[in-house]
Amino acid sequence: MIRRWQQLFLSGWGTRVAAGSALLLGLTLAISNPRAFPVYGDQTVLPAGTELNEDALDRPREIFNSVSRGGGKSYLINLGDLAFSSPSILGGAARRAGISCNSCHVNGASNPQLYVPGLSTRHGNFDTTSVLFNPKADDGVLNPFRTPSLRGASLLAPYGHDGRIASLREFVRHVIVDEFAGPEPSPAILDALVVYIDDIGFLPNPSLGPGGRLVAARSSDAERRGEALFAKPFPHNPELSCSGCHTPSAAFVDHRQHDVGSGGLFKTPTLLNADFNAPYFHDGRFDSYDQVVAHFNAVFDIGLSVEDQRDLVAYLTAVGDGERPYERDGVITNVKEASDFASVLDIAIASRDKEVIALAVETVSGELRETVESFPERKDASVSGGGQERSLARLALKELVLTLRRIDLAAGADRFDDAAAEYKNFRYLMVSAVPTLLANAEPWSLFNPKVHDAHYAALKQTLQTAKRASP
Amino acid sequence: MMHFSRAGSTSRMALGVRCAHMAGRFTVAGFILLGVVASQASASAFDRNVEHYRTQIAEDIGQALSGARRLRDCIAADDLEGAKKAWISARGGWERSEVFTSGLVPELDEKIDAWPKSTTGFHAIEAKLFGAQQTGVQSETDALIADLAELDAKLRDMPLPPQALLNGLARLAYEVGESKSDGGESRLSGTSLDDMRNNLLGISQAYHALFSEALAASDPALAAATQADIETLKALLDAPGLAAINSSHLRKASEAFVITLASMAPKINLQKPVLEEFGK
Ligand code: HEC
Ligand code: HEC
Repeated sequence: MIRRWQQLFLSGWGTRVAAGSALLLGLTLAISNPRAFPVYGDQTVLPAGTELNEDALDRPREIFNSVSRGGGKSYLINLGDLAFSSPSILGGAARRAGISCNSCHVNGASNPQLYVPGLSTRHGNFDTTSVLFNPKADDGVLNPFRTPSLRGASLLAPYGHDGRIASLREFVRHVIVDEFAGPEPSPAILDALVVYIDDIGFLPNPSLGPGGRLVAARSSDAERRGEALFAKPFPHNPELSCSGCHTPSAAFVDHRQHDVGSGGLFKTPTLLNADFNAPYFHDGRFDSYDQVVAHFNAVFDIGLSVEDQRDLVAYLTAVGDGERPYERDGVITNVKEASDFASVLDIAIASRDKEVIALAVETVSGELRETVESFPERKDASVSGGGQERSLARLALKELVLTLRRIDLAAGADRFDDAAAEYKNFRYLMVSAVPTLLANAEPWSLFNPKVHDAHYAALKQTLQTAKRASP
Repeated sequence: MMHFSRAGSTSRMALGVRCAHMAGRFTVAGFILLGVVASQASASAFDRNVEHYRTQIAEDIGQALSGARRLRDCIAADDLEGAKKAWISARGGWERSEVFTSGLVPELDEKIDAWPKSTTGFHAIEAKLFGAQQTGVQSETDALIADLAELDAKLRDMPLPPQALLNGLARLAYEVGESKSDGGESRLSGTSLDDMRNNLLGISQAYHALFSEALAASDPALAAATQADIETLKALLDAPGLAAINSSHLRKASEAFVITLASMAPKINLQKPVLEEFGK
């Protein structure tokens, strides 16, 4: 989940004649949403204007079912999480652009800021069958789908907006091979991805009790009126009710596809944690619950009054809530994630598993290289102070990258004892010197919102220069 | 977690790790800084080579300077295409000299290669020439010429310590492995791939002028390995365009090269290179 601020923002350049319009587009986007800096320029892998929002300081909070149950994350969960963040399991443009599953399903949730010109019709949706990511899967139509959250995925079969694939394992393989032109994943990696995705939990919601019912003491009158409406049969289709499809006791789904007047058969999406899942419907056509409820009211002629609709929205909002949905990105979260990912090396080295060793080194060192850029270089004049601290943090991270590379080189040459010794060094640095040096430099890093904003303001200024007076 | 407790053994750990184990902030920093205060050892053995290297970078800076002057002339004649060509030529010379500029003249580097706050220097000019397609960069170009001229003058008699040059070389080798899928360092002018190739030329030039002879004498096998690493990088950069570069191979090759340089250092009586600039 470590971002690529630099990558995204530094790509803020068009070239030659194409530059004018690309910059114009990019600049408009950058200004309308200062936290989502777009990609542009004709030397980039992704189209000009792409936004992945990887510079966001607030990240969706991730819940691991295994940890909630009081256990720890297993080797397989960490391996799956690692693979989920690894561009190298994908192929083609995604791999070259450094995109991983986690770029779209950020920390297992969604990415409402995702925007790829030509593949998105609005922020948050994306065409998974395009010539850009897999020429062989291109269906020749622009049919973007909303990037779904994977929270609670183990309860949400069948998979895909249309529920076309019953097995999660098969769906994941399909995503890798068909949508992102990746190589056939090994059974071990595929297993790990499935175990990881199955472990992504919903954020807790104390407003809901057993059977998905509102907890009386924690709910308002409006919410409770909404709950009653939710269970009430539709006047003209008495076999239907909201809760008939969105079953409260079953994560608000029924594992079926329906035609609800949105252009075909689509699977019933969960309403848990859905407050954070906008835009809504398979193509992301709706921004708010108000619009969704108005849609159902019109399509099924339910006859809901304005007040009823408000109550339903209040209920949906209570059901869709979750505790602490976002967390601030910082040194601690970054170190923790890198440690968790790298922890697979323990078993991988002992079992001489070169595939996993290579994957771990590639992914973790790639992320650490990006973290270096969170600590602006000494000569970066947009940041003042902390030069020594920043240099030390950068140096420590670079040393980690090299330590990982030594592991890779040793394992590649069948020197597994050396690899194990280097891994011991890595772990050691990760619990001692590295957190200290990074924390010392944090006030002058892009993890500090003030520094973050000054840094991007300086870049924006440079873009202004590039744009002014362009045709 | 299990692995944490087992990390207590120091048996095969590098010096740095043991120092870090002692925890205190000062010690931690000390470990990382060890190479900065590095050895003055046997600098004399390099004297002759250093002078040779000085003439080479003087040529590179010379190219940057004459490119910048040509740029000024083109601007005066409102010749946008000519100005772009002159900028690219000046940039090439600058990129080849980066082994030494980032570490030895940081205050000039900060002005000449300013980023992201680029009100002066190459990128400020690039933004206007290649982005805005206009030649109104008179004052920026005058400043660039002045800075390059100052660098040119300084270079004539400034000390060029071998450790600082090895540090610069390794730092640049690490940077060559940075992802450029976003368009790279000079995306507006579309010359990022040239930047990387020029960086590598600068690296190769510094290595051959300064270190290869001493290394070949003390460890011929390692000298061959170093040369092979450079060739690997060269081959990876021999691509028709930025998008065709295999970035994961490039990253691996760059890191492997830095590791080779670290093992080379003691063979030529230098300290392990430090991959960051710590100022003066
Ligand atoms: C570029 C953005 C993007 C990337 C990268 C991406 N996805 Fe998705 N994902 C989507 C979109 C859009 C959908 C909805 C597509 C559909 O329904 O056919 C989706 C759907 C899914 C679903 C179905 C969820 C459900 O409830 O039906 C799963 C599971 C999934 N993705 C897993 C993955 C995995 C694993 C990876 C990496 C191997 C990945 N995705 C990479 C955008 C992305
Ligand atoms: C016949 C089954 C069915 C009924 C009845 C039904 N829904 Fe749905 N609901 C769906 C399906 C299917 C979708 C997805 C439509 C699409 O993707 O185009 C959906 C989507 C939604 C969404 C958007 C969630 C998201 O993440 O995109 C909300 C909110 C919602 N329904 C609430 C309601 C409410 C409130 C009612 C009662 C007024 C209701 N639904 C009645 C099947 C149903």
